[in-house]
Amino acid sequence: MGLNRRVRFFAGLRYRGGGPMWAWMLHRVTGVALILFVGTHVFASFFMQQTGNDFATTINIIYESWIFQVIVAFIVIFHGLNGMRIAILDIWPRFQMFQREALWLQWFIFIPVYGLTVVILIQHGLTGGY
Amino acid sequence: MQVKLKIFRYNPEKDKKPHYETYKVEAEPTDRVLDLLEYVKGYIDGTLSFRRSCAHGVCGSDAMRINGVNYLACKVLVKDIKSSKITIEPMLGLSVIKDLIVDMEPFFDHFRSMMPYLVNDETPPGTERLQSPEERERFDDTTKCILCAACTTSCPSYWANDKYVGPAAIVNAHRFIFDSRDRAAAERLNILNDQFGVYRCHTIFNCTIACPREIQVTTAIGEIKKAIATGSLD
Ligand code: HEM
Ligand code: SF4
Ligand code: FES
Repeated sequence: MGLNRRVRFFAGLRYRGGGPMWAWMLHRVTGVALILFVGTHVFASFFMQQTGNDFATTINIIYESWIFQVIVAFIVIFHGLNGMRIAILDIWPRFQMFQREALWLQWFIFIPVYGLTVVILIQHGLTGGY
Repeated sequence: MQVKLKIFRYNPEKDKKPHYETYKVEAEPTDRVLDLLEYVKGYIDGTLSFRRSCAHGVCGSDAMRINGVNYLACKVLVKDIKSSKITIEPMLGLSVIKDLIVDMEPFFDHFRSMMPYLVNDETPPGTERLQSPEERERFDDTTKCILCAACTTSCPSYWANDKYVGPAAIVNAHRFIFDSRDRAAAERLNILNDQFGVYRCHTIFNCTIACPREIQVTTAIGEIKKAIATGSLD
């Protein structure tokens, strides 16, 4: 009797939790992406140093390209800032009455920090960096 | 104004799968979503099933997903919904018995596991067990819960695994943990100091946003996390 309680991925995504829910989903995605990128980085450096072969060189060229760095910078800066917001709200629950404002503040910090990073990365990329 | 209601329908005796049914109804901007459901049931399709009792936001029967977010059908006015299309679905993460009716038993089991009653074996004084206004204020917010399950069924951690006790159970534990007359705080904190206790909470805030009583649910959970971490109720 009755329908299974299982919540399918898209049913969950359709829930309109708003900004805070999106921030949490992005945090999880960027957390996993960080593991992959840090993994790739360690992996590539290891092979570069041990073998210096084409495979390692290719990974390093992709990894160090400015396009890739723009993506990595987003992931690192977002995960770091959002993680700090969560940590602060967890340590001092009374600040949670300003949780909406905390999310705004986070974007307020993110946009100039990330924007500046992107400008610098692109400048280097276009003036003969990588 | 005319409103297009899209309602989740599932009849366990006939349907293998749920489907949506659309109804066009005339509505006043000041009508509540519950009134529209009553209209459909009374005048268009008597088989539509949903729970409701008080119709005034105190009994907690009619929490459901209204345009994708949990709320009480009796507390949402048509004019507060920015669209003339209203989609109504049962809460997520509890099995659907029929249409908008979900099985609340797993939810109440978690509630009961929190010992949601005063525990104090000390001989009572001749009068009431007194407390100061400040002591009463400490847990005032969490006394307001009506056990509607809007919070628990808005929580992605609960969707993923219903062993998680869920926000509502924690809110009701908070109600007694921070009550100066109660003596079982340590026991309740012990139950919640578990991977399916407070640690499933990732501070997502869906529960706080969903709560029709405007309880600061995530803050209550946070205060309990902190009490467990520091071993102190201050
Ligand atoms: C600035 C540095 C960082 C900060 C402040 C930070 C903060 C946090 C916090 C607070 C959480 C818990 C969030 C929650 O409860 O949902 C978290 C989760 C996580 N972090 Fe980080 N983190 C940082 C760097 C990293 C790095 C370098 C990696 C990868 C190597 C990483 C991978 C993850 C993963 C996989 C999760 C789990 C995601 C989840 O539970 O939703 N983080 N981080
Ligand atoms: S805390 Fe709020 S949303 Fe959760 S069960 Fe109680 S009244 Fe409903
Ligand atoms: S019918 Fe009682 S809370 Fe809505």
